[in-house]
Amino acid sequence: MKHVLFLFTLLVINAPLFAQKSDSCIYEMRGIILDADTREVLQYVAVNIEGTEHFSLTDPNGEFLIKKLCNSSNALTISCLGYCDTTCQHFNEYSEKSTIYLKKEKNYLNTITITAARIKEAGTASISQRSLDKEVLSIDPNQSLAAAISKVEGVTFTSTGNNVQMPVIHGLYGNRVLILNNGIKHGFQNWGSDHAPEIDISSANRVTVLKGAAGVRYGPEALGGAIIVEGNPLRLSQQFEAKVGTGYQTNGKGYFVNSEISQGLDKWSYHLGTKYSRIGERYTPDYLLTNSSKVERALNGGLRYHLNDLDFKIYYSYLNQNLGLLRASIANSGTAFIKAINSNEPIIINEFSYNINQPNQLVQHHLGKIEINWRYADDAKLMLRLGSQLNKREEYDVRRNADLPIIDLDIVTNEIQLDWKHPAWFELNGLVGLQMFTQNNDNNSGTQTTPFIPNYNTFRFSAFGIESFKKYKSTFELGIRLDHEYNNVRGRETSQNIFRDNYSFTNLTTSLGYILQFSDNTSFRSNLATAWRTPNMAELYSYGQNGFKTSFGLLRYYTDDNENGALRTDKVVDLEESNISPEKGYKWINEWIKQKKKNTYTITVYTHYIQNFIFNRPLGVIGTIRGPMPVFINDQADALFTGADFSWQKEWSDAINGTLGISYLWSKNLKKDEALINQPPIKINYQLDWKIKTFSKATSSQLSLKPSYLFKQFNAPQTIQTEDLIDGSVPITKDSKIFDFKDTPSGYLLFDIAWQLESEKIKTGISIQNVFNTRYRNYLNEMRYFADEPGINILLSINYFFNIKSN
Amino acid sequence: MKVFNYFNKFSLIAFFSIGVLVTGCKDDDVPDEENELEVITDVKLIFTNDADATDVVEASAQDPDGEGVEELEILGEITLDADKTYTLTYEIFNNLESPGEDIGAEIQEEDDEHQLFYSFTANAFANPTGDGNIDSASDPINYNDNDGNGNSLGLSTSWTTSSTTISGGTFAVRLQHQPDVKTASSGATDGDTDFDLQFVLNIQ
Repeated sequence: MKHVLFLFTLLVINAPLFAQKSDSCIYEMRGIILDADTREVLQYVAVNIEGTEHFSLTDPNGEFLIKKLCNSSNALTISCLGYCDTTCQHFNEYSEKSTIYLKKEKNYLNTITITAARIKEAGTASISQRSLDKEVLSIDPNQSLAAAISKVEGVTFTSTGNNVQMPVIHGLYGNRVLILNNGIKHGFQNWGSDHAPEIDISSANRVTVLKGAAGVRYGPEALGGAIIVEGNPLRLSQQFEAKVGTGYQTNGKGYFVNSEISQGLDKWSYHLGTKYSRIGERYTPDYLLTNSSKVERALNGGLRYHLNDLDFKIYYSYLNQNLGLLRASIANSGTAFIKAINSNEPIIINEFSYNINQPNQLVQHHLGKIEINWRYADDAKLMLRLGSQLNKREEYDVRRNADLPIIDLDIVTNEIQLDWKHPAWFELNGLVGLQMFTQNNDNNSGTQTTPFIPNYNTFRFSAFGIESFKKYKSTFELGIRLDHEYNNVRGRETSQNIFRDNYSFTNLTTSLGYILQFSDNTSFRSNLATAWRTPNMAELYSYGQNGFKTSFGLLRYYTDDNENGALRTDKVVDLEESNISPEKGYKWINEWIKQKKKNTYTITVYTHYIQNFIFNRPLGVIGTIRGPMPVFINDQADALFTGADFSWQKEWSDAINGTLGISYLWSKNLKKDEALINQPPIKINYQLDWKIKTFSKATSSQLSLKPSYLFKQFNAPQTIQTEDLIDGSVPITKDSKIFDFKDTPSGYLLFDIAWQLESEKIKTGISIQNVFNTRYRNYLNEMRYFADEPGINILLSINYFFNIKSN
Repeated sequence: MKVFNYFNKFSLIAFFSIGVLVTGCKDDDVPDEENELEVITDVKLIFTNDADATDVVEASAQDPDGEGVEELEILGEITLDADKTYTLTYEIFNNLESPGEDIGAEIQEEDDEHQLFYSFTANAFANPTGDGNIDSASDPINYNDNDGNGNSLGLSTSWTTSSTTISGGTFAVRLQHQPDVKTASSGATDGDTDFDLQFVLNIQ
């Protein structure tokens, strides 16, 4: 794609230039543009003297020369277009805060630090997106991926306790948000609200959140957006670097250690990172959250070999987690559920411990990737990426056979991606790709319970093409994709009878994007995209209890016309015979960015219509041998999501910078004209960063204040007391209005403070979360039925860098 | 020469591709059959007259689809004779499988994590007196069995009916699962409920 890779304007101050004085326009400017990190030359970089016609491209040695200048001091505009060769490709991979130097010996210019705009992935340039880099991510390497990105407007997380957190983009989560880890779709047990992506954020170099439907580029499931996790960029020509970090948090008495080494030679580069972290049981302002401990071990490593036009990369990562879930959330009967839900405090509170007992989740995730890039021409490239993942998950529950996992699954995911970035053709730049995706899920025996999820195999073959075209200040982007997916399912009913099903879907996904760059300071982007996804296995096949919920999948219940439409669960319905269709989404997202003096405003407005939206909702209470039990079903209805994100960044002074963020979402079940359950409420947050004058050897110091307010979710289902459901005073059927067992929690104000201090070799930080020890419950935390959120937490972290880049 | 190099590289790519394809190949394995120990479909209460082993009164509760949405059914009333001593025992099964899974044996095995609690119409029995121990764990119930820690279990209990007749009274039984919770004083609201059933009690 012929995207503008970097476009920046910089002012050369007091630049003493090579000059001769005889005429007025005789100055000339010479320079070399080098990648400051790799020291590689950058060719085809356009250099323009601002406000003039003077223009030059760097040659293969990265050199440029502009003659006949009339002033001795000039403002330069340097732009590096997508025509760049491999050198530029290396550069752009870590461009967000790269430094470009004009070589001092040749042009006498002062070094200039510039911030380059990040290159957007093909097919996503017109989608509103935000990136978080390592600087931000490394402040708290203990937090989950979801918590780390929740500072982006329009993004939040849904959780099951403190250890299981899933990202939510504009009200959608789970299979509707695609997570790409090092270019590979994260293959895990992506169902329910209690399975978080097993990704260690300390392995990430950058995380990008795409807020529009990115299905054409990344495939089904990118319906609500995508999260792109990039690992170490494996730079070449980079001296040996090593880092060790450690930290301690007061709430949960948690600690972590991580380390990282990397080095880039002329043709080789490698990196290796490890992490260990352990957190004990967390405290709310009033009590301990029993069994909320976690332990995490992570390893990641990469190797790169660069040979002329060819570039090879291998990446491997491993994550091992043991995550405790709140003990008091397990209620095996209606009576116990009522007691748990009505109690102000969790019904089980023990002494503090690091131990993890049932209920808990043991997960191991292996990811391996091979990527080969062949840049056979200056403006064309072939990329082959192979990914293989193994995810092993064991879940333990409080039950008679508590020592045996109640869920024991292995899922193997393989992926092949072939992308061709074709040479410019007429005015079109584009990317064409073929993908193959397979998944094999197997239950391990010995759980002494009927598998909650069946064994299954998924095969998906996809082809896509994305073309973009630039005219004046406008860029158009058009994408189309065809997916064919086949599923083969084998499971067991509680009678241990076998059920089988085969089904396939073929779907077309399209997207249309438009970018208008009014001026250097104002831009508008708009993206209209379709996306789809097949219902996940839990939405289709879950049967019975998982956690505190008894839940039935779409194919596990039906209404019996012979019995007045009574609900029955005694057979598994074939998908082809059912009226279940894949979800189809149509998302239109617009973003307007305006920079005015020291203010930057960003407004994102979106509308998302989802056909056959699948959601889990309370159904009622049924009599069982354990007493009355609350029951949930998966249901399907057309739904509408619409909302806006707003941010206003202002430089109050050279040292003080503030950002206001507001996220608003409104959603509705169109079929029944009622609210949807578990939708994020309005959020307002402010961040004030104050760069404090540094002392002694410190190179930078920053204090941040972060107040945030979450409103009560007013657009929520009615509440019906469980007692009324049990005694039948409020009759509920499948067609009744949606309800919830507990009122949505009140709004709350949280206040965080963080202070960071950096010196050449040491980077240290203190942050205080929930400074006022506020008592609150989060509507999007499933544990809100049982317990408050954690109280004050003081986090200390220190990183030591053994080698610092020589420049 | 360069072309030849590329060829080599692509054969490597082909090799990896085949590897991925092979591992992604279709299989057709079905989850292994499990002995479902989580589900209880049938609970039978058996009152046997201590003086006459052929005098047996039974009542049962059935939830034939286990975790499914069908409602629980209570089959039969408990009709006992006045002024007699009975021993109450159980048959607890998961009959979704055939043959049925004996959950009673499972509870016996994990006796230190389970206890049965009772509640009944006040003074329906001469011994135990009162209305049972669901409301207050220290209230009297005549447990005949203990776990390894000497705490009551309740798969066998003794009941002496009162001399006054009762019609349409209640007899409730609750099995609590109390891993790491069960003590000499733990009660009917500690831990989690495995079954919670209410029967009609008549004494004639």
